Amino acid sequence: MSLERIKIESLARVEGHGGITVHFKEGKLSKVTVDIHEGPRLMESIAIGRTPSQVVSLNCRICAICTLSHRYAALRAMEKALEITVSPKVQLMRDLMHCGEMIESNALHVFLLALPDYFGFPSAVHMVPDYAEDIQAGLRVKKFGVRLMELTSARPIHGENPIIGGFGRYPSKSEFLKFKYEAESLIPDAERGIEILRNLRQPTYMEEGMTFMCTKPEHDRYGWVGDRILTSTGEEFNVWDYRKLTNERVVSHSMAKRSSFKNKPYMVSALARFNLLGERLDGEAGEHFRRCYNLSWIRNPMYNNVAQAIETVWALEEVPRLIDRIIALDEDPEIVPPSRDKGAGSAAVEAPRGTLYHHYEIAEGKVVAADVITPTAQFLDMLETHIGVAAETLVKEGETDDIELKLEMVARAYDPCISCSTHLVRVKGL
Amino acid sequence: MVKKPKVGFYSFSGCEGDLLTIIHCEDELLDIFGAVDVRSFRMASSERHDDESLDVAFVEGSITTKQQSEKIKKIRERSSVIVAIGSCACYGGPQSARLGYDDWEERFKKVYAGARLTIVKPQESQPLDEYIKVDYYIPGCPMDKHQFFYALTRLAKGMPVELSRFPVCAECKWNENECLLLKGQLCLGPVTAGGCNSRCPNYGLPCIGCWGPTDEANVASEINLLKERNFREQEIVNKLRLFGGSSMVKRFGELLGIKKTSHASSVKTISRSGKKPAASKSSTTGNK
Repeated sequence: MSLERIKIESLARVEGHGGITVHFKEGKLSKVTVDIHEGPRLMESIAIGRTPSQVVSLNCRICAICTLSHRYAALRAMEKALEITVSPKVQLMRDLMHCGEMIESNALHVFLLALPDYFGFPSAVHMVPDYAEDIQAGLRVKKFGVRLMELTSARPIHGENPIIGGFGRYPSKSEFLKFKYEAESLIPDAERGIEILRNLRQPTYMEEGMTFMCTKPEHDRYGWVGDRILTSTGEEFNVWDYRKLTNERVVSHSMAKRSSFKNKPYMVSALARFNLLGERLDGEAGEHFRRCYNLSWIRNPMYNNVAQAIETVWALEEVPRLIDRIIALDEDPEIVPPSRDKGAGSAAVEAPRGTLYHHYEIAEGKVVAADVITPTAQFLDMLETHIGVAAETLVKEGETDDIELKLEMVARAYDPCISCSTHLVRVKGL
Repeated sequence: MVKKPKVGFYSFSGCEGDLLTIIHCEDELLDIFGAVDVRSFRMASSERHDDESLDVAFVEGSITTKQQSEKIKKIRERSSVIVAIGSCACYGGPQSARLGYDDWEERFKKVYAGARLTIVKPQESQPLDEYIKVDYYIPGCPMDKHQFFYALTRLAKGMPVELSRFPVCAECKWNENECLLLKGQLCLGPVTAGGCNSRCPNYGLPCIGCWGPTDEANVASEINLLKERNFREQEIVNKLRLFGGSSMVKRFGELLGIKKTSHASSVKTISRSGKKPAASKSSTTGNK
């Protein structure tokens, strides 16, 4: 009997609605599609004609898991367009909120979405009877991330406190200190994730070389924000030229556009960040990285799970450093008003699942063009490649018993955010 | 032992922020999964039973494809109670901000220019009650977890749900915030459904109206008040419409200068609290 088609209708334990179809012809792999069923929302067209601050509130709602990455990217792009320079305290607070989201999203993915596969459970809840301590450690870390998002942004999801030009209100010194000590105390819980993953054998059936991209930090430390983009081909681009990096096109099986670089698929993610900037990781996270890193990391997307676990530790170590610098700055800065009512701005930040671009054009105080390119939309081609290799290998080796699950594991390792991925379309005027 | 109620969690078009709100209940998450029999929660579990009858279905997101409109009808058929969670399910969400302007096709072509899409049949974003009868509405962008716990525990015991009926303004006063309207800011607190504990005004920021209009909203008086403070009508309407979705078209369409299309005028009105009369679409009048 020869296999003709493998179809996964609806991916579980990922954000959003998508499936996978793998076609075979005469025993050979012929086509792989990651099918995006997400309904269109046309958010870009809703943005046109609105004020920049309304569009910040609108576009963070593209995705709940990475709401603050969207907000951060939107704020940076709008502030460039409106020629606003924010003070160091605002910058540090934004980096702190970004840490909150990285901790929340990475811990959610590592402990609740990815781990159950390795142990053969349908969900983290099902794991509790056997692995209560591990799951509870993960929940504690995730909860801290959510609370840090709430502290800085006013709400766990879609917090409105970070606005163009600054913040509505700043937490008190005692609130900051509480979070500083709590972050330090949670590092062992986060390290548990690394230990569990390190002791598991990562599957290799999907291995294939990748091109990586990530945002280059503005300083020489590890970080997630900057105006230049690094590629594993050894190049560097200005964020203004983001379209040269993403080269979008439309495909019929997806409500998301696709990206490729030099006609090849590429990967953005924690794994991409670590392959390009891993040597910059300091503290315990740096130690863990050097202990865990091996050459498979350039070929095997499953290591994204490990990279996220280590990055969670780095974020928890970064929180006290940021808080110390914030409370050393006494004055809460006033909100900086725009210095003009027209202009254009592009910005990139690293969302938990990879590089996120926002671009806006403003005229007479209203948004006249908007473009959002999400990490998931960028890596869908790479994901299809890995799914194809995995399906081919597993069929060749006769390991087809739970092939759907094994393909889903590859998709989950990418930590796709499918709601996000359908928002990447440049709209100008209306 | 009492049989646990069967509950399903479903999501349509949106940011999944309402289901994520449930996943963010770290302290209560395991209790929730213990108190009810969760039959479907795709975002959290790969275990699914998608063809059996349910006691309660919690549904987030708006309907933006033909496939989704068919799926929500099937969920309705097998569920005793349907709870719309979040502003997208209740009113259509920000993706319904241009309902009634009749420019959807044009906008779709602009966004998906040149696309030959074979995978879904897209349509204009509408709330759940455009297609099915909804029993309860928990608005919010995202919803507040306490309102969800309250609804879940009441429904798990087979009891009706009564949600808060006051505007953000009421909570803002309880929190003793300085009035942002008096400080000349475009705040939607007086007309927006409360329950968020006046989150934004607590941070000195004007309400953006993300929970949609409150039951007793006096939108006409809000517009006049804001006009007196030198805000342009277009700006006020833009802000009211960003999260108000279908409720703005149905309740305040004329006032806001929204053309009532045949589609929109055939739609039922929204009651946020309390059970809707179990009537067919055409004969339902709602409480507005």
